[in-house]
Amino acid sequence: MTHKQVGKFFKVSVVAALIQSATASTACASEVKGERIFDILGLPVTNSMLTTWIFTLVIILLFRLLILRGAKLVPSAGQQIIEAIVDSMRSIFEPLMGKKAFSGAFPLLLGFFSYILIMNWSGLLPGVGSVGEEQIAHVSAATAAQYQAEGFKASESAGEMTKFIPYLRPANTDLNTTLALAIISFSAWIYFVGRGVGLKGFIKDTFGNKADPKDIAKPIYLSLFAVFFAVGCIDLISIAMRLLSLSFRLFGNSFGGEILLENMYRLAGELPQWISWIIPLPFFLLEMLIGLIQAFLFALLTAVYIGLLTGMGHEEQHE
Amino acid sequence: MTNILAEAATQLGSISGSIQGGLGCLGAAVGVALVGMKTVEAAGRNPGAFGKIMVLGILGMALAEAVAFYALFLGK
Repeated sequence: MTHKQVGKFFKVSVVAALIQSATASTACASEVKGERIFDILGLPVTNSMLTTWIFTLVIILLFRLLILRGAKLVPSAGQQIIEAIVDSMRSIFEPLMGKKAFSGAFPLLLGFFSYILIMNWSGLLPGVGSVGEEQIAHVSAATAAQYQAEGFKASESAGEMTKFIPYLRPANTDLNTTLALAIISFSAWIYFVGRGVGLKGFIKDTFGNKADPKDIAKPIYLSLFAVFFAVGCIDLISIAMRLLSLSFRLFGNSFGGEILLENMYRLAGELPQWISWIIPLPFFLLEMLIGLIQAFLFALLTAVYIGLLTGMGHEEQHE
Repeated sequence: MTNILAEAATQLGSISGSIQGGLGCLGAAVGVALVGMKTVEAAGRNPGAFGKIMVLGILGMALAEAVAFYALFLGK
């Protein structure tokens, strides 16, 4: 962005963002990727990266503060909260994955859950997505379409287009973040499946003939090899599509939620000020629920994908 | 609010494209609804298994919902 002729103006929406009572205005950009704010050693830092760093620090400090004096046999209040989360997660994930893979993957699943939960809920705070600066670009008729594609909007004065860039953008509304999470999940899947059943076990499970030769006649049994091989090929495609579906699901839910809140906020603008907060309010509660479910779902899907191959004993009752 | 509705009414004629997005979301909505219906039925029959049924229900809804995102992001 800096190589273009773009002036920067600090936008004083701080006061507005804090005064508008419970509602955080989400002036969310209509772009898939975050906007560059500054450089560190030549590497661009986007606003979603900045949010990630700040709220990762919040998670670490929060968990440290909750167990300030170390874990004890008689738990303190903070330790009890953490233990409740860990215990309920364990009771859900352990039967899905089988003991061996579970003990290895559980820290990763808990990490996914707490990280995505905090990142989803961070978008609801006042100040995230609403404090930023306004970029003004001087455009001609030839370059207007190009700027418009980048999210610039026409302003009152002719020849100028403006774009609001928040300093903090919720991390999961950036497709890069969710794709990175999906790649981590996929690598973990490869690692745990490779350690649990190995390449041979994976190929046998995907392409192998699962029929029992005692039950059916021999020619049918042999012809079933072709059927199971075709099914295995479809399976491979669906495994590759997991990367897309994991990242798109998380991105689509949080990005769609931001846009929903913004539109409700705009709708409410026509009502008198003292009552206008009531329209976005139910959607904030909805977004809290969706944020929790999506965080849980990401961890759950990772567990299920690993558990489909490693949790053999329990697979039948879940499939 | 009335302004926005009036604006939407005047622009009805300019609806175009993105039919795949609408149909994909429709299919995903039907799928999620079916999963939700059967989950409630199952929980009603066996309230003791509520926790296990809820996990399966959320899982099924997520897999059905993914179709909507394929339609929205991959289709052009």
